[in-house]
Amino acid sequence: MSHRGNVILIEDEPQIRRFVCEALQDEGWAVFEAENGKRGLIEAGSRKPDLLIVDLGLPDMDGVEVIKEFRNWSAVPVLILSARTDEPEKIVALDAGADDYLTKPFGIGELLARVRAVTRRRLQAADISPKVTFGDVEVDFSQHTVNRAGQVVHLTPIEYRLLVTLLSNPSKIMSQRRLMQEVWGPNHTESSHYLRIYMSHLRQKLEIDPAQPSHLLTEIGVGYRFEP
Amino acid sequence: MVKFGCADIAVVNVQVRAPIKLTTFLHNFCTEKRILGVNELSGKPVVLGMPSNTKFGASSYVFAIFILAFVTLASTPLLHYLDLANIVMVFLLVVFLVAFKLGRGPAIMSAVLAVALFDVFFVPPRFSFAVHDAQYLVTFFVMLGVGLTTAHLTTRLQQQALEADNREQDTHRLYELARDLAGASSIDIVEEVVKKYFASQEYQASLHLMNADGNFTALKFDVLTQGLAHSALQQDSLVNISQLSPDGRQGYVIPIKSIAKQYGVLLLNEEPGYQEDRLSVDQRQLAAVADLVLIALERLHYVELAQTKQVEIASERLRSSILSALSHDLRTPLTGLVGMSDALAISTEAKDAKIHDSASAIREQARTMNNLLSNLLDMARLHAGKVELRKEWQLFEDVVGASLKLLKPALSHHPITVQLDAGLPLVNFDAVLIERVLCNLIENASKYSSAGQSIEIHGFLSNEYACISVRDHGQGFPVDQQERLFQMFSRGDAESKQPGVGMGLAICKAIMDAHGGKILIDTPSDGGSIVTIVLPIGTPPEIQPEPEGAL
Repeated sequence: MSHRGNVILIEDEPQIRRFVCEALQDEGWAVFEAENGKRGLIEAGSRKPDLLIVDLGLPDMDGVEVIKEFRNWSAVPVLILSARTDEPEKIVALDAGADDYLTKPFGIGELLARVRAVTRRRLQAADISPKVTFGDVEVDFSQHTVNRAGQVVHLTPIEYRLLVTLLSNPSKIMSQRRLMQEVWGPNHTESSHYLRIYMSHLRQKLEIDPAQPSHLLTEIGVGYRFEP
Repeated sequence: MVKFGCADIAVVNVQVRAPIKLTTFLHNFCTEKRILGVNELSGKPVVLGMPSNTKFGASSYVFAIFILAFVTLASTPLLHYLDLANIVMVFLLVVFLVAFKLGRGPAIMSAVLAVALFDVFFVPPRFSFAVHDAQYLVTFFVMLGVGLTTAHLTTRLQQQALEADNREQDTHRLYELARDLAGASSIDIVEEVVKKYFASQEYQASLHLMNADGNFTALKFDVLTQGLAHSALQQDSLVNISQLSPDGRQGYVIPIKSIAKQYGVLLLNEEPGYQEDRLSVDQRQLAAVADLVLIALERLHYVELAQTKQVEIASERLRSSILSALSHDLRTPLTGLVGMSDALAISTEAKDAKIHDSASAIREQARTMNNLLSNLLDMARLHAGKVELRKEWQLFEDVVGASLKLLKPALSHHPITVQLDAGLPLVNFDAVLIERVLCNLIENASKYSSAGQSIEIHGFLSNEYACISVRDHGQGFPVDQQERLFQMFSRGDAESKQPGVGMGLAICKAIMDAHGGKILIDTPSDGGSIVTIVLPIGTPPEIQPEPEGAL
């Protein structure tokens, strides 16, 4: 299998490391394991990684600290592993620079899908595509137009900005705070109910079944995600 | 002025300050015919005043006579050497000393006797009362004057000294009380200290504290006294209960209260068997004692409060650390189990159907176990009542959509329809917890209905409430057990083949309760069941419309 790149896996539990490692190797990744944060940062500094997978509960330091330190000198995607009930912790990690998270326990399918999503973005960032399509919707960034099944969809400026922000980060989880900041500006990060209202508008206009969306997804307690 | 059978003593100022001690003292003094007492505290002798009546001061009169006789005898030989005027000085000195040491009565007697002795033994013609020389009347009056004045001044000084001494004693006793109260480590000790303090004044003191409901629980506390205690606390002034005592004993109800809190009352009763010559206690003294007791109680109250808080914090810390350790320690192997069985299932998919099926089964069991664990941990958190709701103004659309996405693999055998009525407002809730409720309800709906039976989710408004109902067409809930369903570890059918320990609905109820909402179960006539969660609408924030503008 072709070599996809290097992954640093920072996780203290050997059994979890084992199956994550095997699954990634089967996909063609070269995996470097680290059982604590310090070791992980050293590996990350020497191995030229293409992806960092970090468990938030490490024995020697907080996973969030690892991410912050790593982000000082690298823009490589970071995927975090975390327990289900820690939504605030996930938000903190996302704000610290993580790109996405996997909730424990997770299957191989979920793991590989997340890994593909965060690494694909990196590839996409290079080619600037003026058009994005998802479902029966086509968004033309150069023309500022949105078409659905050939019909022009009218979006308000805020709706459009929100859509563009989500679309330019495909598969990436966007925290409420981040979306508020990018769409409404830095002074409006507190009134997140506006975000929900406008997300609802977008779904009404662009989703086939707004109550069961397939592209504009809600990550409860954390934020939203655009899934192409 | 208090009349004693034996003496007539001015104790007006003294009586109020240390009445009982003084009374006792005077009582002893009268029966023992002693003039000098001993200050109990300082050990110094205290002169308490002179009896003015021969019956009880006999010894001092005899003593005065003896001195005068001695002086007369001693001065007689000096007659040839000294002038009469100088001899009379000796007599004057005796009268002065008698007045100073023995008081007014002996002083008057000494003055009279001294003039008589002087006249008989020294003034010529000696041994006769022939007062042809009227000038010795002057000597007599001078002596009388000196005697009376000295006696008066001495008495006054002694009284002042006594008063000061008593005041000092009072202060000292209050200081001791304050010191003892400061060291008191429990309410019982406070009561002991106060009892001891009043016991020395022959009063029985008892401390009655109110319980948390503002009632007195002490057994020997009759209804009338209870009422008086409450009124004393209300008026913030002591109540005299002497009239209530059947044998006329004195008593007081003294309120112990701070600005913030009423603690209770101090009940004071004169000890039985001390009937006569009752002296009233000083209200200022009682107020001082009440203040000291209040400070002690307040201190104990806050110490207790601080200790309770500390214990609470410690147990809370312990609880949450146990929970998070449990959560981590159980989830870690489950994560490994899910991941490894999944890997095995994938790798054997095309090669070995048997192993593949087993691995898939292990994976599903591990996932079920994880759900159970989540429920258990959630329940533990909710049960402790310490769940912090992260309420935000949310749309039903978000939670319904997220729940369905989360359950997607488990719902593949059921057609799902979602209807969210138009005009549903923003509702204030913790989205993570409500998502948990919805997941539980939808999971239940799929668990208890057969494949192919549809599940309908409906969001609607009803009066002041926003509701989401989950309807299935399965077996429904047994009608008679609906209340029991919300209890922990109960299931509709105890022997059901479906996995789960019946925590789901109990958790849902706990979460809805925390939100001030409700969860309702309905069994429609055409089968299946409808579970509805109900949330109060409140006042949603206003949404400013977006200004019109082109893209």
